[in-house]
This record gives sequence, structure tokens and C-alpha cells, in this order.
Amino acid sequence: MSTHVLPSPGKAPAPRKDRRVGGGLLDPEQMIRSLPDALAKLNPVTMWRNPVMFTVEIGAVFTTALAIADPSWFAWAIVVWLWLTVIFANLAEAVAEGRGKAQAATLRAAKRDTTARRLRSRDDRTRWDLIGASELQQGDHVIVEAGETVPGDGDVIDGIASVDESAITGESAPVIRESGGDRSAVTGGTKVLSDQIIVRITQKPGESFVDRMIALVEGANRQKTPNEIALNILLAALTIIFLVATATMQPLAIFSKAVNPGVPDSLALTDDGVTGIVLVSLVVCLIPTTIGALLSAIGIAGMDRLVQRNVLAMSGRAVEAAGDVSTLLLDKTGTITLGNRQASEFVPVNGITERELAEAAQLSSLADETPEGRSIVVHAKQAYGLRERRPGELAHAAWVPFTAQTRMSGVDLDGREIRKGAATAVMKWVRDTGGHPTDEVGHLVDGISASGGTPLVVAEKGRVLGVVHLKDVVKEGMRERFDEMRRMGIRTIMITGDNPLTAKAIADEAGVDDFLAEATPEDKLALIRKEQKGGRLVAMTGDGTNDAPALAQSDVGVAMNTGTSAAKEAGNMVDLDSNPTKLIEIVQIGKQMLITRGALTTFSIANDIAKYFAIIPAMFAAVHPGLDALNIMRLAGPQSAILAAVIFNALVIIALIPLALRGVRYRPSSASKLLSRNLYVYGLGGIVVPFIGIKLIDLLIQFLPGMS
Amino acid sequence: MPPTLAGILFIASLLLALALCHKPLGDYMYRVYTGAKHNAVERVIYRLVGVQPDGEQRWGVYARSVLAFSLISILFLYALQRLQNHLYLSLGMQPVEPALAWNTAVSFVTNTNWQAYSGESTMGHLVQTAGLAVQNFVSAAVGMAVAITVVRGFARTKTDMLGNFWVDLVRGTIRILLPISFVAALVLTAGGAIQTFADHSTWTTLAGGHQTFTPGAVASQEAIKDLGTNGGGIFNVNSAHPFENPTSWTNWLEIFLLLVIAFSLPRTFGRMVGDHRQGYAIVAVMGSIAVISIGLTNWAELSAGGTVPQAIGAALEGREARFGTSNSAMFASATTLTSTGSVDSFHDSYTALGGGMLIFNMLLGEVAPGGAGAGLYGILILAVITVFVAGLMVGRTPEYLGKKIGAREIKLASLYFLITPTLVLLGTAAAMATEAGRSAMLNSGPHGLSELLYAYTSASNNNGSAFAGVSVNTTFHNTTLGLCMAFGRFVPIVPALALAGSLARQAPVPASAGTLPTHRPQFVGMVVGVTIILVALTFLPALALGPLAEGIH
Amino acid sequence: MDRMPSWVRQHVAALRALLVLTVATGVIYPLLATGVAQALFNGQANGSLVEKDGRTVGSALIGQSFTDADGKAIRTYFQSRPSAAGDGYDPTSTSAGNLGPEDVIDLPDRTSLLTDVCARSKAAGQLEGVSGARPYCTPDGVGAVLKVFPDRAVSVNQLCPATPFIAAHQGLKVECARPGENYAAGRTVPVRGNVTTVAVPADAVTASASGLDPHISLVYAQLQAPRVARERGLPLEQVKALIDEHTTGRALGFMGEPVVHVLKLNLALDGA
Repeated sequence: MSTHVLPSPGKAPAPRKDRRVGGGLLDPEQMIRSLPDALAKLNPVTMWRNPVMFTVEIGAVFTTALAIADPSWFAWAIVVWLWLTVIFANLAEAVAEGRGKAQAATLRAAKRDTTARRLRSRDDRTRWDLIGASELQQGDHVIVEAGETVPGDGDVIDGIASVDESAITGESAPVIRESGGDRSAVTGGTKVLSDQIIVRITQKPGESFVDRMIALVEGANRQKTPNEIALNILLAALTIIFLVATATMQPLAIFSKAVNPGVPDSLALTDDGVTGIVLVSLVVCLIPTTIGALLSAIGIAGMDRLVQRNVLAMSGRAVEAAGDVSTLLLDKTGTITLGNRQASEFVPVNGITERELAEAAQLSSLADETPEGRSIVVHAKQAYGLRERRPGELAHAAWVPFTAQTRMSGVDLDGREIRKGAATAVMKWVRDTGGHPTDEVGHLVDGISASGGTPLVVAEKGRVLGVVHLKDVVKEGMRERFDEMRRMGIRTIMITGDNPLTAKAIADEAGVDDFLAEATPEDKLALIRKEQKGGRLVAMTGDGTNDAPALAQSDVGVAMNTGTSAAKEAGNMVDLDSNPTKLIEIVQIGKQMLITRGALTTFSIANDIAKYFAIIPAMFAAVHPGLDALNIMRLAGPQSAILAAVIFNALVIIALIPLALRGVRYRPSSASKLLSRNLYVYGLGGIVVPFIGIKLIDLLIQFLPGMS
Repeated sequence: MPPTLAGILFIASLLLALALCHKPLGDYMYRVYTGAKHNAVERVIYRLVGVQPDGEQRWGVYARSVLAFSLISILFLYALQRLQNHLYLSLGMQPVEPALAWNTAVSFVTNTNWQAYSGESTMGHLVQTAGLAVQNFVSAAVGMAVAITVVRGFARTKTDMLGNFWVDLVRGTIRILLPISFVAALVLTAGGAIQTFADHSTWTTLAGGHQTFTPGAVASQEAIKDLGTNGGGIFNVNSAHPFENPTSWTNWLEIFLLLVIAFSLPRTFGRMVGDHRQGYAIVAVMGSIAVISIGLTNWAELSAGGTVPQAIGAALEGREARFGTSNSAMFASATTLTSTGSVDSFHDSYTALGGGMLIFNMLLGEVAPGGAGAGLYGILILAVITVFVAGLMVGRTPEYLGKKIGAREIKLASLYFLITPTLVLLGTAAAMATEAGRSAMLNSGPHGLSELLYAYTSASNNNGSAFAGVSVNTTFHNTTLGLCMAFGRFVPIVPALALAGSLARQAPVPASAGTLPTHRPQFVGMVVGVTIILVALTFLPALALGPLAEGIH
Repeated sequence: MDRMPSWVRQHVAALRALLVLTVATGVIYPLLATGVAQALFNGQANGSLVEKDGRTVGSALIGQSFTDADGKAIRTYFQSRPSAAGDGYDPTSTSAGNLGPEDVIDLPDRTSLLTDVCARSKAAGQLEGVSGARPYCTPDGVGAVLKVFPDRAVSVNQLCPATPFIAAHQGLKVECARPGENYAAGRTVPVRGNVTTVAVPADAVTASASGLDPHISLVYAQLQAPRVARERGLPLEQVKALIDEHTTGRALGFMGEPVVHVLKLNLALDGA
């Protein structure tokens, strides 16, 4: 096998311009812009979807009625802050959605109403009808020329063209789209820069890639993910528990008041029990409003973070599944190794010096513009100081180009004929030209193959000079990344078309856990099925049509944007940068989303402890003076204590919006370490922070009217 | 030896004995519930019952079998009480009044053994032994069967079949409860517990008064009432009665009996799921909560807070001299940490905070270690909820023992978790809101509130102990407490079994470094924390107006 | 049985299972246990009865009252603990007192636990010729509890015309309680007083759990010893020796508390 026989698929991704929207920090302007949306979401029909915040809204309505019937400074202050609590929650969601909307606006610009030239027959380029792009049906053929916009998603079936896809990918460099092979897909809204292509439309009307992208980033038909549904159930259950706990407190409170007839009525407790305002305040403080308010924002922001990294997830479910992935299938080329093999050593046969071999190899490669050929020239220069001569300097040289038939290339110069290429081809040539290559050459070739390299035999007419050792170069930092994966409990499997020996050598060097050599699409599919059968979730990337079944089978299938429509259709994510390494980032974003939910749930529940310490003594210290011992924050008075708890509860939502949107800090490590860290920060922090917060708020508000 | 040191040794020796039994008894129960063979006695029983012992059941069928057996048991026990004057060995007792008969029937079938009556003056020999004592066995066996089935849900994969209720019931009774009870009954008799079917007799006391001998098959019932975490004594004063609990060492033995099955079942669990460490983690959760609770209760009692204990100089009102304050507190903790409800001292006269701790023990859902069986499935549900929150925090869909905790699992776990607190709170509120409810209080003020809170906590959690001053033998309380007991027992069993069914169907997810480890101290600490914090948050208002209001000065 | 609907079949199986298990656990088990227990531990199984002169006088496990028909202590006998079982030590109505730690105010229909304790302490002190004073107790043996109002304080457990145990509380004059008046609105303040040494031990002033407690503490027995010795004309040393003889230490050295068996001690005295 020679490098020339199997040209490396895919190319290393070019640097792209950064198109992140809002760095993740909270932008006050964006908040204000989102305010109208937040108010619109007060509609009970919308609120119903979020049981926790719906409960708060009902409480706010109820207290408003109470405050109107029996106005006091305290009552109105509570009412205002209860409404603010609901609005803050809506604001979180609106801000998260707003970020997506900005993204969608860019996409919409690409979806200008274009016209299409629909061919009457696919073989006749001359007869076409001009119609609106939206009228195109699946299976129509259109012709697109330089300067025109591709009217819809499809595959190039004839021609080759350079296409500007910057509207979708943000990447300004044009890409080549040609019929056949894995670079045939074009996306509606992109612009053809040169040549002429015929495209078969693969989308249904109104379901183009851009349409779907817009819907996704706007969160228009966002469906709750499985974990989100489960968490919502738990939050609803907690809400019910606290509602019951508060409601059933009333007869107990009435009794306690009645057996202490000497205690006068207060704003918190009367002969009829705890007042409605205080009761609602207690409920709102206890039910998990923090996570309830931020839950949907976390989900939207998770999708958004992917979009910022130029990855489109077709569903939130896929993002969540990314967090659960336990097996990563990674293509060797482009992901683990740099795209091409490089000369690393010249191994001469007996009687030839390394320098002689290097010189011959360099000569034969001067006109070879493949990366491998260039690497031979460069290595000869670096290792032996051989000057690189321009092909033009050698006037008499006749360059022999590589062909699929000869499977070798070389030069005829001053009577010397030098060839390099696949072992079998070159050996045959040597024999044909009268030489008798010894077994030695075979041993050298096998030795290089065994070490995972690719041998390239260099010969002169009638005799073999030696072998060039071409080596796959593993990208820098891959080993560390795979160690990281292992600590996260993710197994990495390298997929390669190489033979097992080569594959093993590279796998060892890169530090992946396993490899699949001489992989066919069927092998890939079988591997995925096997992993899934063992209960593992599998993620992979792919671009070719023959990857489609595996992409569809995998739990997280990331299709390269450069790939075919079939691949994009089969996967549940599309990477617009077509960077296979990004799979690792996708997994981390998935995990981060789940961690953020868990952390804020813990925080929310932990908060309740401090709120109890504020509200219980405020309600009952009058009848049971001993309970004042629970007022460990030494809050100024019952009213200020209750109001401080309510205000803290509302403000903490606003304070945590940036965290919800950005996601909690995530460093890959074992589950155990992650949990410890998050427990300290969000569990312990959740207990401590409100004690401080409520005390500070109380210090400020105790001077307000109606607080003492 | 100083009394405090003796008290600590008493507790330590119990823990040591439980630790020693954990493995052998846990392994034995594992063999009982997983073995394929039926012994000769069992084969006869299956033939008489008319069931195929080798056919397994889906969760729904299993649940219906549990409910059918319990319903029949309630009806049978109700009939027995109502008709006792027509039956043999009635000791001349009258038929039990309907509301009380309902309450008592439900009470014993649900493993609560709440006793709104005074045994020595209400129940004849036949009702005691062929009615109540039978339920002491089978209600415990039902609890264990359900626990084992929930564990099967974790242990099995890709199946709908969860075992056979009749086999689990019979094996638990015949192979576990009966032999241990028999030995324990004889040991208790050796210590002085009575065991006779004789009739009442009287004697003239030294001072010239008259005393009546109150006979009964006491030792045999005492053994199973503790072992099966039942708690229904022959006598009104339960295990404080010298005929039930004659010496300080029988006291030790009874505490041991009421803890031993619940503390050994986690071993069975670990064996069944194929990882001992998981069992150790669960027993560590139970043990940690128990040790904290026992420590706090002892501290509260020994420091004798409150006006009357200070006047007395010790918390000795309602305690037997031979047990003393500390051992009584240990018994009280053990009986409320399990679903037993036997008492060797009277909780109504405990210090406010000590009594509050006993209420809190029950409010924990009795999971440390809980009732025979009920404790294990209770803690596993709490572990599922903990795993869910913790699992999210490690960035994966939460899984426990290789099973994913998704929407369905959380729905069932939440349902389970909601029921008991709701019953406690609604029951207490209903009693506090009505004159019929409040009139049962013996004490006034916060302590009266605590009496009712204790009663509904005890009933809903199937404990059966009481702040015994409360006069609950009324139609109102017999009915409502009966409802709390029935709902508190059977409503949670259904989602627990449904959860098992849901888990058993799943294919296992292999553990990796990214999986939350559920056998480490970290996880143990989390379950302990989640359990305590959730319960504290739910019940703090009620506790504040009862025990805390009374106890903090 | 096959033709029945499955839910009926299930209930029939349930009934059969219950009956079979009733035979096993409700008939065979108790009978077998009784048979073996009667054979091996006959005395214990039948109530550890105690005889005097061939006549059963009680059970070694069940305590007795050593009071006369009027309920007054018989001075020649060691006294048992207070009992809440019926009129005292009634095995047919076993009970504890069940009053809580803050039960400090007497009600028209019953005295408070605090007053009970104070009264028992005073009575025991009188019987043994020592001080019956305790914290939170008035000299006349009721709970020392004030109801404090803005303008006055009332010693609620001391019904007029009793003299309040203190004259003034924080500048407020303390009054005796007028029967029938409702003092609920006042703040409850138990007053500890300045008693430092308490002569009457705790078990002498508290009801036991069963109401049948056969034991008293060593301290309480020693407190009673001089009186019993005096009344019986026995040397104190002999009585103390008998106490030691009927004292049970902690089982294995750490279980329970050391206690003196009152019935056996009194029997031994009768035989001495």
C-alpha cells in the first residue's frame, strides 16, 4: 500500500473566524431587550408549563388581592417582590432565547427569497423554468451558476464549483462542491462563486437546513429533554410537599395562638393563624424557585453553547445524550493524526549509504507535490543538508508522474532512472528492468509496516536503494486529551482503514483505548451495535454517505458539514466547521448542561435551611419566645426577616442567570471528584450564602417603613 | 462503673452484636430468597394454598397479591375481634367495638401495631395468638418480600418477572421469622417472660391488697413482635411490663431483635446485586443516621432538660428502674428508627427534645434501619432520589446500580416519597383543626400538639408507638389513624414495586470512571444529608410548634 | 379454580395462605413454645410466683403497693415507686403517667406532673424524716409556677388562701390563685428556687413506665432503711445487709441500673 493509492480523506480544518454571540456573561442591554418577552410570559397559559413558577404566580395574584383588601407597607413590599420573582424567572428564559434569536437573524439573512432555475429534464441544461425557491419539491433538479444562490438543500449531481458557505458556517474561505463522493452536499442560502453545477433538491419545502437551524436556535419547538422532564417531576413533587407542609401548618398555628391568649395579633400571626401574605412568602421561599426559574434557560443555553461552537444539535435530547456518552469512535485521520504521513527515516539496503538514498529519494520527489513527497524533500534537507533544487534547475530531467496503474513516480535524469512508490510496484519495476532485489528489501519493508509506518521503496534501474519510512504524525496533545477522557469514564476507539499493525502502533502512540483496523462501514456499524448492547452510549463523527447507517445508529452522530446530505440527515448534530476533534467538546457541553441542572437544584434546596431560620422565628417567636433562639441571623424584626428572605429568593435568580447561561465550570475529572467539588460549591455554598445574603438585605431594609 | 460509661457500653455492645450478625444473617436471607429449592413443609403449604411456587410474577401481579393478602388479613382480623365472645379461649372478653376493631385490624396487618386498646382488658387468648401474633409474622414477611422484590428490580435485567409473592411470604415466615422467634421466645422465658394459656388468678399481696395474674403467650409474641418490627404487646404498657421484658438483659435482647433483620438486609441486598460494597454503603447510611439519633436522644434524656425533669433531677418519669434513663432512650430510639413501636418507657414523659428526636426518627420514613423490609425499600428509594440529584452533578443521566433513573423512575420515587409526609401532615392538621381531634390530648400546649403529631406520624409511618397519654380510642381517631396506617403502608408499596418492575426491564449500564460511585463514604454522606435535610425541611414548621417550642428556652 | 377470574383466584389463594400460616404461626408456634417453655422454664413461664408460707403472695416480677387500705404507707415496709397502674400496682390496668416535661400547671380536674413530683417528694421526705425540697417546688409541695401579667404575678398552683412561695417577682406582687379564675393569658414562669441538695431520689418521685416496677434504686432503699429498722426494731446494719442481699447489679456489668427488689426485701424482713 502506498500513500498515493489511498489519498487521505478530509483536510485539516482551516482556522475560522470567531462568531460567538455574547461571551456568556450577562449583558444588561440584553436583559432590558428581553423584558417585554419576560412580561409576555406571565400569561398563565405559558406559565403552566413550569409548575414551580406557576405556583409563585398564583401566590403573587393571591397576595395582591390580600394587599388590596388590607393594605400595608409590608404587604405591598411582599407583593412587589413576589411578582419580581416570577418576572426574573421569565427574564432568564427570555434572555436565553434572545441569544438564540440573534443567531437566527444572521441565518434569516441567508434565507433571502431566492429564485431557482428548475430543469425540465436533468440531462438538458438549456431548458429550465424560473420559479420561487419555496416552490421547489424534493427531487427537482436546478442549475446554479457563479454569482447565484443555491435555492435549497441538495446534492451536486453534475459539475464542480467553489461555494461560499459563510452564511451558514461563518467560514469565509470558499469550499469545493462536486458531484459524486463525499463533498456533494450543498446547502440552501449558500452562494456559488465559480462554475456551474446541477443540484438535485433533497429537502421538502420549508424544511431546509436553514429553516431547521432557525427553529432550533430560537427554541421555537423546543422539547424538554428526558432528564429535564425527570427533574421537573422531582421539582413538582417538592413543590407539593412544601405546599402541604405550609397549608397544614395553619391549624397548628391557630392552636398555638389560642393556647397563648395573652399574645397580641401581629402582621404574621393572628387568631386566624399565619396571615396569607406570610404563608405565601413561606411557600415561595421553600419551593425550589431557583432551579425552577432557571431550568429551561439552562437547556436553551446548552444548545446555544453548541451553536457558538458551530455545532447544530437537532434536538436537546442529543445534547443530553452527549453527556452520557461512554464510547467515542474517532476517525484516525484528521482527528487523531495530522492528515498526512511524513518521511521520518531513510533506510538503505546493504552497500548504499543513507546519504545516497536520501539524495535519490529527494530527486525523485522534487516534482511530487503531495504532502508525502514534500516531506521527503524536507526531511532530506534537514537530516542530510541536501539542498532542495527547483524542478526547473534540472533541465534534462524528465518527471514521471504518479498514476494509478504504475503506482509509482520518479525522474529520469542524466541517464539515471529513479522511482519511488509502493513496494510491490517498485520491486516489479526493478525486476522488469533486470534487477534481482534480495530478501533484505522485503525485511525492511515488513519492519516498517510492523512499526506502524508506511514503507516507500526507492529504486534505480535494476537495483533497490532503500526504503523511506513514512510515519503518521499524531496531533499534539492527543494523549492528554484521551487520558482526560479516560478519567471521565469515556472509552476512545480509533477507526482506521490501516492494517492492524499500523493501527496498533498509532493507537499506542496516541493513547486511545482501542482501535478498529481495516474498518469498513459495516464493521463500524457492528462495533456501534456491540457497544450499545453492552449498555454504552456511542458518539461518532462521519461525513460520507457510507457513514450514514453508523451515524444513524450511534447515540450522538456528528455529521461534518462538508459531508453528504445523507450523512447530515442520519446524524443528530452537524458540525459546521467539519472538525472531527470537536466531538470531545460536544461531550463536555452535554455534561456541563446536566451538571448545571444538578448544581442549581442542590443550591436551591440547600437555600431553604437559611430561609427557615429567618421565617420560623418571625412567625412564631411571639407565641413561643424560645423559638427566637432560631433567629441566629439576628434579623431586625419579623417583617424585615420575611421580606429579606423573599427578596433574597428573587435576587438569587437574577444573580444566577449568567451561571445558568454559561454553565457551571467543568473540568474533566472522575465522577467522584466532580461530585465533591460541586457539593462543596453548590451544596455547602447553598447553605451558607443565603444566611449572608438575607442578613445583608435585612440590614438594608430594616429602615423601610412598616418593617418594625 | 459510671452510669454514662455503662450506657455507652450498652449501645456499643448492641452495635457490635448487630455488626457480627450482619453477614451471616444477611447471607442466610440471601439464600432463602434466591434458592431454587422448596423444602417439604413449604411444598405442603404451596399445595394447600394452591399456588405454583415456580411461576414468577410481573410487578403488577405481585402487587395485587400483596394487596389481596393484606385485604383478606384485615377482614379476617376484623371478624375475629368482632366475634371473639363466641370463640374459644376468649377469657370472657366482649366483642371489640367496630371502629376499634377496624383500627386494630389495619394496625396489625400494616405492621404498625398501634394499640388504641389495653390488651389485658380487651383481647382474649385466641385473638392474641391466632389473630394478632399471626400478623406479627406475616406483616413482617410481606415487608421483607416487598423489599426483596425491589432489590430484584435492581439485580435483574431485561425481564418482567420479579419473583413469586407466595413463595417469598412463606419462605420469610417459615425459614427466617419462625426459627429465630422460637429461640428468642425460649431465651425470653428463661429471663422471666411468661408463656402460659392459663386463666386469670388472684393473690393477696403482702400488704393485704389483691393483685390479678394476667396470663398470656407472652414470650412467643414478644419475640416476633420485636423481630418483625411490629410492636403490638400483649399488655398495655408493652415492653415496659415485667412479664414482657423482665430484666436489663432481656431489654438488650429485645432491642437487638428489633434491629437485627433490618440491619442485615443490606447485606442481602449487596449479595443480590452482586456487589457487597453497595450493601455496606446502605448499612452505613442506616448506621450513621441511627448513631446520630441515638446519641442526640441520649444526650437530651441524660441532660434532663425541661422544668419537670429538672425538678426530678433526672428524666425518670415513665421509666423502669431496672432499665434506667439511658437504656430506655436506646430502646426508644431503636423502636422509632425501625417501624417497631414497642416501648419499654413512656415517650410522652420524655424531655421535649428527646421526644422530638423520636418523632423525627419516624419522620425520616423509618429508614435507619427501618422496619423489617420496609426500611430497606425506603432507603433504596431515598438513594434513588439522591442518585438523581448527585448524578446530574457529575454530568450524566443518573444511574444507580447500572439502572438509569429517568422520568418514570423519578415519578415513582417521588410518589413514594410524597405519600407518608402528606398523610402525617394532613392527619395532624385534621386532628388539630377539629374538636374531636384535639380532645384526645392529655397534655396541654405544645406538648399536646406533639402528642397528636406523634400519633399521626406513628400511624402514617407504620410505627405504632405513641405519646401514650393521648386518648385515641375514639371513633374519630380510630378511623383517621386507621386510614393513615392503611394508606401509609399500601400506597407506597405499589410505586415501590412499580419502580422495581421498571428497573428490572432495563438493560444495565456498565460502570465507568464517569459513573457516580455509590459505595463510597461520599455517597453515604450524601444519602444521609438528603434524607435528613428533606425531612427537616418538610416538618420543621410542625416540629417548631411542638417539640422545639416546648424544648427551647 | 382455573375458571375463576384472576382477581378472585388471587383472593382465594390469599385466604388459604392466611389460614395455613395462621395454623403455623398462630397455633403450632405458640403451642410448641408454650410446651417447651413450660417444660424447661416452668417457674418463669408461669409468672415467677413468690410464695410465703405456702401461699402465693405475688410475682417476683410485679411490684406491689405497701400501703394500707387508706393508701397510707405502711411504715414497717420499704415503699415501692409511685405507680400509675390503676390505684397503684394493678396488673389489670397497667399504665404510665404520660405527662410531659412542661406539665407544670394544675388543672381543675388533675394536678400537674410538677405538683405530683413536689407532693411525692414532700411526702417521702416527711416519711423518712428528711427534707423533701426540690427545685421548682414550693415548700407546701406544689409546682412553683407563676403566671405573669403586666401588672401582677400569680402563683397558679397555690390556691388561695395559701401564701405564695415568693412575695414578689421582678417588682410585681405575687398573689395566690383564686379558684375558677382563668390565668391562661399570663406568661408561664416556673421558678427554680435555690434548692441545692435534694434528699429524696428521683425514682421515689416518679411513676414507672409499667406501673408495676418491682424495683427501687439503691439510694431510695438506703434512705428508707433507718425508718424500717426503727419501726421493726431491727439493727440498721441488718437491714442494710438485707438490702445488699436483694440488690441486683447491672447485668454483665453494664446493662441497666443497679436496683433493689422491694417485695423480696420486704419478705426477707418479715422473715427476719
